[in-house]
Amino acid sequence: MSDEPKENDKPKPSDGAEKPAKKAEAAAPPPPELGVCGKLLEGAGLKPVALPADAAGTETVQVDGGQLKQACERLRDDAQFDLLLSVSGVDNKTTLTAVYHLYSTKTKAKLVVKANGDKLPSVVSVWPGADWHEREAYDLFGIQFDGHPNLKRILMPDDWVGHPLRKDYTVDDPRLVWNER
Amino acid sequence: MSMATEQPTQSLPQGVYLEKDIDAGELTVNIGPQHPSTHGVLRLITTIDGEVVRDIEPVIGYLHRSKEKMAESRSLFQYQPTIDRVEYLSAFFDHYVFVTSLEQIAGLKVPKRMQYVRMITMELNRIASHLLWFGTFLLDLGATSPMFYAFRDREKIFSLFEQLTGARMMYNYYRFGGANADMPEGWLEGALDFCDDFEQRIDEYEAIVTKNPIFLDRTVGVGVVDAETLIAHGVTGPTLRGSGVALDQRKDNPYCCYDEVTFDVPVGQNGDCYDRYLVRMAEMRESLKIIRQAVRQIPGGDTADLMRRRAEGDEAANDIELQIAGQKINLLTYKAPPGEVMTTVESPRGFLGCYLITDGTPKAYRCKWRGASFSNLTVLPLLMKGRLFPDLMAIFGSIDVILPEVDR
Repeated sequence: MSDEPKENDKPKPSDGAEKPAKKAEAAAPPPPELGVCGKLLEGAGLKPVALPADAAGTETVQVDGGQLKQACERLRDDAQFDLLLSVSGVDNKTTLTAVYHLYSTKTKAKLVVKANGDKLPSVVSVWPGADWHEREAYDLFGIQFDGHPNLKRILMPDDWVGHPLRKDYTVDDPRLVWNER
Repeated sequence: MSMATEQPTQSLPQGVYLEKDIDAGELTVNIGPQHPSTHGVLRLITTIDGEVVRDIEPVIGYLHRSKEKMAESRSLFQYQPTIDRVEYLSAFFDHYVFVTSLEQIAGLKVPKRMQYVRMITMELNRIASHLLWFGTFLLDLGATSPMFYAFRDREKIFSLFEQLTGARMMYNYYRFGGANADMPEGWLEGALDFCDDFEQRIDEYEAIVTKNPIFLDRTVGVGVVDAETLIAHGVTGPTLRGSGVALDQRKDNPYCCYDEVTFDVPVGQNGDCYDRYLVRMAEMRESLKIIRQAVRQIPGGDTADLMRRRAEGDEAANDIELQIAGQKINLLTYKAPPGEVMTTVESPRGFLGCYLITDGTPKAYRCKWRGASFSNLTVLPLLMKGRLFPDLMAIFGSIDVILPEVDR
């Protein structure tokens, strides 16, 4: 009698202890390791954080906002990422992220660089083509790019209020013209 | 100049008009947004000094239809019909990147037959897009007849697309994992007929235009730019290939079945308007090559054959690779697994990309369009600085910008 509850008790806590661990393993895949470009950045004295690769298996690196420009320079000069495909803003509800999609015309490699923050250094001096892309991210998300030569709205009218692609910007926003009437 | 000296000026007081103090400073001219040569609605704030362009600032956004916000307010399936309008001259490419992004996130496999159909439709669409460019580019330079020739052939492609999708420009044909319907019977034959016909036509067009002295004067040595500058500005597509860089997604990262067909990537040498013209004309011929090979190699062959084989009970005709959709999903309730990817495709204007983030709901969390024209347009001020004002339309036309793709 006294053994049974013990036996019943024993597996229960052990089950309970195992389950969260298993769940954690299932929910969070093993932390991604730095890829080729991540190691290159690490070797240059920067602190990149490896993120899980995207659905196509492209290496993804997160860079601290303060180190973004140095990282981009290293990637352009040492890893031959000479083509900036796009700068996409993403609103994560708590933070804003700028996502840089890079492509190398020489090695045909792709890379995704992410930087969090609403105030980031501009990479126009690294890739001149970033000019309009950063203006777009500023216009639609309100990300400030320090050092940008001409940071003003690009798609929305100059007198537009708010940044439309933010998640808190909805159709019933009082700042919209049709809601004022 | 010679006209002015020939005019009778004896009755006028000598020198009055020459001595008059003319303000020879810089003048700001506003071009657009409503201007036929801007191929949409583009405003160019141009500073000119005489006939020389000192500075040019493109102002965009007149065609902004908030395509990216729309993606976040409706399901992926509901959003799909609207994305034809992102770049309406080559809408198959829009659909391809969007559908492929989701297929990669969800791990949907596309049957080989469908990949070939996608390849054939995209190459036909590339020809249609280049033909419109050919017509309007020559129209910008003052030649009206190429426009009519180009539109005649474009109509033939649109008739093929109409048979296939029911629409001439806004197709909405691809589906996640496949497409809306299989080809109509005899459609491949029609595509081959078009190839045979168009091969002769393009010879005729080149005979009219390529060695035309007026055309040569307007384009050779105009808008010269080196490849490094273009790459730094994010310029891709035929504009970059005109400067001698064979950057083509179809070769570098083959999607669909481009690794199963042989074709060349035409490149220019001098990087001027003329080379960009030559590259696009050569690309149309390469597209014909691809279509011909694809029609020959497509698994299952013509739909009539496939239907007959299925009716006769041929098990091989029911193979998954010969279906229209590999994996049937309920589009109305479909929830894509969380994930993100950026798919790029070699559109007629360069890298067209769709950066899709899904979060497990039926809607997209973020859908960013990377339009090739958006980046290509940024190089215009650089090309125009110090050039003559009449070169503006030649240079702008040779970049082949389409404004809906810029503004989205």
